[in-house]
Amino acid sequence: MIFEIVRWVGYFILGYFIVMQLYMAFLAAYSALILRRNHHLARFDRGDDMLASHQSPPVSIVIPAYNEAEGIVDSVRSMSIVAYPKIEIVITNDGSKDNTLQLLIDAFDLERVRIPYRPDIETEPIRGIYRTNHPIQITVIDKENGGRADALNAGINVARYPYALCTDADVILDPRCLVYAMKRITEDRERTIGVGGNVRPLNGSRVELGHLIDPDVPKQLIPRMQILEYLRTFVASRPAWSELGALPLVSGAFGIWKRSAVIGIGGFTAGHLGEDMDLTIRMHRHHIDREIPYRIVYEPRAVIWTEVPSDRKVLRGQRIRWHRGLMQAISDHAGITFNPRYGKLGLVTWAGMFLFEFLAPIIEFVGWIIIPYAAFVGALNIQVMVAMLVLSYGVGLVNSGVSLLLDESFGFHNSWRDTRRLVFASLIENFGYRQLTVIWRIRAIVGGRSTQGWGTMTRKGVTKLGADAA
Amino acid sequence: MTAIEATYAAVVVVLVLGFSLLAGVIGLKWAHRRRVQAHNKRRRSYLRLLSAHLVSPTPTLTLDDRQFEDDAFIDAVIDIRNTVAGDSAVVLKDLIDGRGLINLQAARLRSPFPLGRRLRAVVSLAEIGDQAAGRVLMQHLSDREPEVRIHSARGLARMRYLPAIEPMLERMRYESPLVRSKFGDALIAFGTEASWPMVGFVRVHQHDDDTTGLPEIIRAIGRIGEREVGPALSELLHELENVEICLAIIESLGSIGGPRSLRPLRKTFCSDDWRIRAKAASAMGEIGDPSVNPILFQALGDSSWWTRRNSAGALAVLPGGINWLYDGLISHDEFARDAAAEALADCGELSAAKLRFDSGEGGPRDLRLIRYMDRPGLVFS
Amino acid sequence: MSETKRILVADDADAVTTVITTALEINGFDVTATDNGNHALELATTEHFDLAIIDQLMSGMLGIDVLKRLRLEGNQLPVIILSGVDGADIVVDSFQSGASDFIRKPFRLPELLARMEKHLSTAAAKTST
Repeated sequence: MIFEIVRWVGYFILGYFIVMQLYMAFLAAYSALILRRNHHLARFDRGDDMLASHQSPPVSIVIPAYNEAEGIVDSVRSMSIVAYPKIEIVITNDGSKDNTLQLLIDAFDLERVRIPYRPDIETEPIRGIYRTNHPIQITVIDKENGGRADALNAGINVARYPYALCTDADVILDPRCLVYAMKRITEDRERTIGVGGNVRPLNGSRVELGHLIDPDVPKQLIPRMQILEYLRTFVASRPAWSELGALPLVSGAFGIWKRSAVIGIGGFTAGHLGEDMDLTIRMHRHHIDREIPYRIVYEPRAVIWTEVPSDRKVLRGQRIRWHRGLMQAISDHAGITFNPRYGKLGLVTWAGMFLFEFLAPIIEFVGWIIIPYAAFVGALNIQVMVAMLVLSYGVGLVNSGVSLLLDESFGFHNSWRDTRRLVFASLIENFGYRQLTVIWRIRAIVGGRSTQGWGTMTRKGVTKLGADAA
Repeated sequence: MTAIEATYAAVVVVLVLGFSLLAGVIGLKWAHRRRVQAHNKRRRSYLRLLSAHLVSPTPTLTLDDRQFEDDAFIDAVIDIRNTVAGDSAVVLKDLIDGRGLINLQAARLRSPFPLGRRLRAVVSLAEIGDQAAGRVLMQHLSDREPEVRIHSARGLARMRYLPAIEPMLERMRYESPLVRSKFGDALIAFGTEASWPMVGFVRVHQHDDDTTGLPEIIRAIGRIGEREVGPALSELLHELENVEICLAIIESLGSIGGPRSLRPLRKTFCSDDWRIRAKAASAMGEIGDPSVNPILFQALGDSSWWTRRNSAGALAVLPGGINWLYDGLISHDEFARDAAAEALADCGELSAAKLRFDSGEGGPRDLRLIRYMDRPGLVFS
Repeated sequence: MSETKRILVADDADAVTTVITTALEINGFDVTATDNGNHALELATTEHFDLAIIDQLMSGMLGIDVLKRLRLEGNQLPVIILSGVDGADIVVDSFQSGASDFIRKPFRLPELLARMEKHLSTAAAKTST
């Protein structure tokens, strides 16, 4: 009896890996179709029409900042020159313990102003508002600490334009990212409520004064593995999700939201570890439940760069936090998983999140115990087992390969050295790195409430902009 | 063959398949890179050839048919057209004329695929075409591919192909929002000659059940800014219930400007709809006639936050408006005071007041503004 | 005026750099071209140029930023800002940041050459006095 159970659990887990890889392969193939089309369209469209058009809707760039003294001024400066006809910048100083606020005041000649503040979304108390208008309007909200979501909400309250780009204080925006992202909004201003951007690891690239100079793949393995992961997500999955009309996540590092829509659902959930995913899913639910037509899309050409953890400890903290955020979202929104009412979101993308992101570490971990045991007691046919493992490894390789191929059209990592490094990473990531991420995510699951605080404490464990990443 | 042998075979097949697919991917990457590099190399050499041709006093360049069929050549020509204007453009056109380029590209555009080639065709026709290309582009205003429609419209506007205005307006009623906004931009590029046909079109369709496209057309009229159409536009304002169209007209009147646009705007200020009042306030600011200052001053106490804000913003840019805003600071209405204060801060008056104050030239009103801003706490309105 | 004038051209569209480079070389200038704002700044600060033609919208760094940085360092190299986008702000901003001139794309080649000559001779007159 137990023998039979072990046998079938073993086959189930092996089959699960294959199905997971096939799901990824489906997304990659679908993304390939979309990116190929985009590639043709992009040849004759560099977004200049958006820059010249008076119809380009104005955008507020909303930046939450907590203890960002080191990079904040450079970062705001580089954001203020992003190419777009009409922008303003709103920074929320979320009760920083360092001199973030004073640095901003000095650098941009901010003045304390008393302006009408409309708390469309409830936040922690505001201490003061500072503003300058030259050359563009920069507003700094000084408030009590309340976490990233709370800081974003305060920024959205003060933002005066109809669209808010919610981003981070330590990212580098590609000069044309807003132009491309906002083009998706002009496609359908009535219905488009959210646009996500293409987040890329910055490590290894040369950065000077808040500008990315030379994109490169680093020698260190940990960030290199992450580049591969980001490519598989942002290049080979999200275009498909977006085209299916069921994008389950608009990343916190670059998300443009219609301000009125964010206010309509009460803003970001304060204290949530995965506030970006939570907001995205709540947007979907709000509109589907009320049968309001809407669109949340992903724009691969809207590129932003962010530094990813290059040492294991920081990465571990980040992954535990991510998985806890995912767990929180999965449990908050259990009602949409496999629910046909939510269409492709419930049946394909959120189901995929549940099956292949949330459950994956559990199943894989169980597999580590069951499969060798089953093989040992002879419940599994060794040949079949090896064949199945090799198959999932093979399909995984192909998925990575397709991501690399698709990345070619972006022109960032096209040197032979970069390709060599990424191909090498894709060959070895299943031996060590992958197991580490499984253990970390298991840690997030069993960690209970003890890991709760990490979200606010090390909101981002990444080192500062401009620091030498290579 | 035993079952074990079969499984071994399967493992080998899968492994070989996995690695060969990865190798295939690298191969594809390599092939793609090679093709792109070769294309760019040829394009750059064409660019050099063409540039040299343009600046030489006695143009002598001759090209053979093979080059005319080369995509890299077409790309180079398009790039140059986007870079240089004036006589150079004429020289370029002389070089290309009579070589059947238009016909070739028109044929490529007519064939249903591939997309990349069709796009190149439509862009080349739009960039380098003459009246003959205009006729081809007209047919593709209703192409199934939105990007082709957009490029067609852009090209037609670029070559000032006037017969295209009517069909473009007609298309606006069925188009997707993206194409509508791009068609709107194209109509602006036609300039004043498109103004009257557009006004006529709006007049005919204003009472339709479906007014899709009309707001974009009206905004385009405003952007062109032909003074003469102002009264005709404001006439439409009287009988309209559709708020979207009203807002578009108000915005356009603001960009057209002139005293004849101001009069109807004053009237809309009595509207019950706050969106209309708010938009009208901005439009008055844009026109720049200080005679509306008292009206805007009164609107500082409007029930709508947006109207208050826009009115204050308009006063900040109107001649003499700053004085009215300072008066707003001592209004008995708290909301009016806040609106005035924010506008004063936003237009740099707060810094100016501080400077004046520090240099000892500050008056009581400077002090009032500074004190107002320094008060602790925030206003929740 | 015997020596060849050195010109820096920066634009991320290679069509623009190629056209300008070819046209200027035929007219006897020595041209260095780059497609990246940061590289342009690096070149302008480390090497000697008589004039720079810099596009506004580039990867790496915007043209106007290159100009501002140059002026911050006290470099008085005459700079012509190129822009494909029309807008009062950018024109005003360019001149306020110390641009010698502003030219819109698409531009007329003879006009570009004429303007360049003017700025070169002004600069030459300045240094000689």
